[in-house]
Amino acid sequence: MAALVGRLGNGDLKGLIARNGIFIAFVVFMIAFGIGVDRFLTFQNLENVVKTTAIIGVIALGVTVVVLSGNLDLSVGSMLSFGTVMVVDLHDKIGPGAGILVMMIAVLALGAVNGLLIGFLRLNSLIVTLGMLSAIQGLTLIYSGGKNVDIDPSTQDTTWFRVFGRGEIAGVDMPIIIFFALAVVIGMIVAYTPYGRRVYAVGGNPTAAVFSGIRRNRVVFSTYLVSAFCVGIASIILGSRVMGSQNTVGQGYELLVLAGVILGGTSLLGGSGSILKTVIGVLILGFIQNGLLLLGYPFFAQWIVTWVVIILAVWLDVAAKRGRLLSPIA
Amino acid sequence: MKLRNALAATTAVAALAFSGAAAAETYRIGITQNNVGVDSYQTTYEQAFIESAEADPDVEAVVLDAGGDVARQIAQIQDLVQQQVDAIIIWPTQGKAVVPAVRAAHNAGIPVVITNSNIAEEGFEFIKSFSGPDNITQGSRAAEIMCDKFKEMGIENEAQIVQISGQPGYTTAIERAKGFEDRLPEVCPEVTLLETQPGDWNREKSQRVMETFLTKYDDIDGVYAGDDNMGVGALNAAKAAGREGIIFVGATNFAVGYEAMGRGEYWGSIYQSPVDDAKNALATAKAILTGEEVPFLNYFDTPKITQDNMDEFTKPVF
Repeated sequence: MAALVGRLGNGDLKGLIARNGIFIAFVVFMIAFGIGVDRFLTFQNLENVVKTTAIIGVIALGVTVVVLSGNLDLSVGSMLSFGTVMVVDLHDKIGPGAGILVMMIAVLALGAVNGLLIGFLRLNSLIVTLGMLSAIQGLTLIYSGGKNVDIDPSTQDTTWFRVFGRGEIAGVDMPIIIFFALAVVIGMIVAYTPYGRRVYAVGGNPTAAVFSGIRRNRVVFSTYLVSAFCVGIASIILGSRVMGSQNTVGQGYELLVLAGVILGGTSLLGGSGSILKTVIGVLILGFIQNGLLLLGYPFFAQWIVTWVVIILAVWLDVAAKRGRLLSPIA
Repeated sequence: MKLRNALAATTAVAALAFSGAAAAETYRIGITQNNVGVDSYQTTYEQAFIESAEADPDVEAVVLDAGGDVARQIAQIQDLVQQQVDAIIIWPTQGKAVVPAVRAAHNAGIPVVITNSNIAEEGFEFIKSFSGPDNITQGSRAAEIMCDKFKEMGIENEAQIVQISGQPGYTTAIERAKGFEDRLPEVCPEVTLLETQPGDWNREKSQRVMETFLTKYDDIDGVYAGDDNMGVGALNAAKAAGREGIIFVGATNFAVGYEAMGRGEYWGSIYQSPVDDAKNALATAKAILTGEEVPFLNYFDTPKITQDNMDEFTKPVF
């Protein structure tokens, strides 16, 4: 990384921008929207956006770990549907505590299936998780019989389960606290522990990692457990926020999550990126959609702008790394 | 399961054919559905269809499901033509793509009934009837429900509302929005529709959209949602923001909407029963077979439901 940036000249302005482009983009973007959009920079709006982004954000934390190790996880959207349907359905049947426990075990089991297929059988992660995307959607429909599930309305305002999506501590909404706390924990693990270094090593250069004595299969397996764990947490927040679930509630989330990860600058080839950058990437996505909504733009404008921004970000990231805008090889 | 049903039905009919007299009065009606199991409405529809077919001694039903797949649905229509059923009911997975298969059935002399969501107009000449809800009427009735409530509250000259519509591109979403937007200025010309954004039939998405509306507009008196699922999502957002007194009106009354009405938090909706939908489809097909006159657009009634008259309706099962 340092060597790549070095080509631009270490320490000069371009190098600084190249390394921290996402943060600069974030600040510029927030100021521009703040000036241009009425009510954008109000506390209520900022809090709302971070709160609603928290669900995608929590999932993105886990997916970042998977991507760092050089793989993909496209099954998170339908896993979120599965987890949310299950935790909401079990709430009235066996109680919130047991419901959360059973749901977490079930979701981790799905993550373990991903991990076994990709880590130990070395199957392509795109194909496996794309397959799991459909398979888990099917599982969700079998579980629910196609029906929506809801928490009994008479207990919605009293159950302690409401705390995850609707509670607050010292005036800060609980989803925000969970999102940031989890980001700090996973960020620390990834950046400062031997385990984190193994994840980067496997993603950066799998062969070298194996020759260095890293058990690649175990590391890959574990990243899918981290991803599934994050989806489980997101399911709890979502279920608690909505107090109900549809079978398709997480449909399309895999792309939003991946968009946030890519926007943050984590390389899809693995080995490069960070949790903090993903947090910023996900927040930018949330604020773009919120800003355009506040401006009253129709939904299709949001789709176009969002993806133009993502593609632009990827391009600038690549351009900064190679030191030129166009590919050197025609 | 579906295959076994179909096989069982085929065998049963073959057996009846041998027994002679009984076969002459039995109508074999095949149905290919859109995507059973994907939501409560379609699940309930299938159950109701099977039950009313079983309750009718004159009808032998072949029940199939396309699983949301256009190609599979076309194959199923061709299968039903091969089996020479007496009539085919189709819940289109896609309004345009099924037209050639519908034409093939028509050319084979088998009457086709479309259920729930209509096919594209170029296919109209090949079908006998469309049986389903009238979404434009649903939209305009929702506008009337909202307007009547505003008049009762005395704010019909200043009220401001927002709309959360269904998934972009869906006929149901487009027609409901159109019905609502056309009717509202007729009954309540002074009410302002501030903004419309899609909620994609998704309660969580709708909740997010409503949160932004609440940030953007200090004064919102009413919300029209394309179905109750999204309406309850908007209600969640309003409750969390502590904004009271907003009139919520939806469509397709779901159990959650019905319950919220019971608690006095949600004003009204449109009662659309999948049971009525299924029964109407079967009755339409049978009427065509017995030679009765059937209107080309054979709508079943979807009445208004509000806190005032909800006791007349049973709680939706979905």
